[in-house]
Amino acid sequence: MKEPTKGRYEVEIITCKKVSPSTFIIELSKPERFPAAMPGQFISIRVGGATSPLLRRPYSILDMTDDYITLLVKVVGRGSEALVSMKTGDPVDFIGPLGSTYFELDKGGDAVFVAGGTGLAPLVFAARRWSRERRAGEMALLYGTESGSEVLSDIFEDDFSQVYIATIDGSRGFEGDVVEMFEYLAERAVLPGGKLYSCGPSGMVEALVKSDIDSFNDHYTSLESVMACGVGACRGCVVPVTSPEGAKYKSVCGDGTVFRAEDIDWDNWRS
Amino acid sequence: MNEKKLHIGSTTFKNPVFLASGPAGYGIEYGDLINLEKLGAVVTKTISLMPKEGNPGTRLKETRSGLLNSVGLENVGAETFFSEKLPELLDLGVKPVVSLACESNKQYLNLLELVAREGRVDAVELNLSCPNVDEGGMVVGTDPESLRWYVSKAKEILESKTVLAKLTPNVGDIAPLAVISQEAGADGITAINTILGMDIDLATGKPVFDRITAGLSGPAIMPVALRAVWQIVQAVDIPVVGVGGISSVKSSRKFFAAGASAVQIGTALFYDPELPERIIDSL
Repeated sequence: MKEPTKGRYEVEIITCKKVSPSTFIIELSKPERFPAAMPGQFISIRVGGATSPLLRRPYSILDMTDDYITLLVKVVGRGSEALVSMKTGDPVDFIGPLGSTYFELDKGGDAVFVAGGTGLAPLVFAARRWSRERRAGEMALLYGTESGSEVLSDIFEDDFSQVYIATIDGSRGFEGDVVEMFEYLAERAVLPGGKLYSCGPSGMVEALVKSDIDSFNDHYTSLESVMACGVGACRGCVVPVTSPEGAKYKSVCGDGTVFRAEDIDWDNWRS
Repeated sequence: MNEKKLHIGSTTFKNPVFLASGPAGYGIEYGDLINLEKLGAVVTKTISLMPKEGNPGTRLKETRSGLLNSVGLENVGAETFFSEKLPELLDLGVKPVVSLACESNKQYLNLLELVAREGRVDAVELNLSCPNVDEGGMVVGTDPESLRWYVSKAKEILESKTVLAKLTPNVGDIAPLAVISQEAGADGITAINTILGMDIDLATGKPVFDRITAGLSGPAIMPVALRAVWQIVQAVDIPVVGVGGISSVKSSRKFFAAGASAVQIGTALFYDPELPERIIDSL
């Protein structure tokens, strides 16, 4: 299959809706020529017309239909702050779809998704896409965040067969982090088998890789990183890989965003 | 159209707007976003004789209107570049200028021999911001005698090919180094490379980059680049290619007004990939 062609687009904000104290769902009009993006691919948005913030900000695609592209945006700094303050009709300049690898599922397969924070976005996109294609069997979501007020998964409840929530402060669901909950559930054999898909802070994914649960053969993760070019050119967002063949570093934007989690050299990566 | 043409050394460029070495990789990565064929040239990321894996740790840190990078010249090495990357670039109709690493004396000579036999390349740019591993790691382009040696060897071995000497701004006085490059046979001067900077992570109190220092690029360095180009233009007779923080048609015009024969766009590609084409249209 030929990789969808990327381009630069100028679109409008349809809605920008607050869904938790720190997180927003932004709906963008979908350009007519925009190719069919895949779960794990992202777009890179120019925030403001000036040179500060200088770099575009990368956002995983949360969903895409014929009319819109949606993103999950957590306010973490100047770029995201400027983005969520935009109003309906405001212009947005983005390049995309970016990334050359994405989440895939064999027809009829089961899937367990592990998400931390806004790492939910590519996993929701995968679940929705596979449901629409009638591709998936059982799909369980394990979602972790700091506290109950930051839980985003309610909005996406219908997209999964099972949803488990973990909060660090224990204000909702499992008390602890999402990896501890994953181990707890896996040990009690309540999760479907199949493949494991994750997205979240690198510490979460690393802990998941290093956990003792071995009932999942394949674990694919969509990595997050600070990025500059978004197209694999500048080699700024690289991640060290352990696979003996080829380069020691792969770029998250150009070679990813989806990697086999075991291939990442976690001990030598600070994202 | 013809009035946009530019000659440097034995090379004719269709216009004086190039992609700078580094941000655009081998150029091909930007094929979907930029009409590469329209550009005067693409200066490739710096190629070394052997593949280089680049620096560990954090490689990028955004600053106010600038970007610090510590990529560490990661590249596929000359062999793979010529067999895999260059054909793709040429297929896209691109005029390549190959940026060459000024590594250890022997490896540098071997790299030049390889390039000399490469008929598809008629122009190179010497990245003189490399550390001189034979002379205690001092940056090649800051030492007059090293600079003279690296430029003169390139001219001697590459014969009729065009040689641009890309100077580092991390020196007290840049003009004399441009004069030395000219004396050593350079066909043109490219100025400037990134400015040394650093950042500290307040959460740890430690430098952000494993190598402590990193190269600053982007709009923040434009006045420094403009000053360097102005001083070099006063000091040499060969063409000067201006690079450093060009972020608009207007800032490119300032470089031409300072006497630059051509300009290169680097960091601006990240947020405004069509800027080079707009500059070409404005000429």
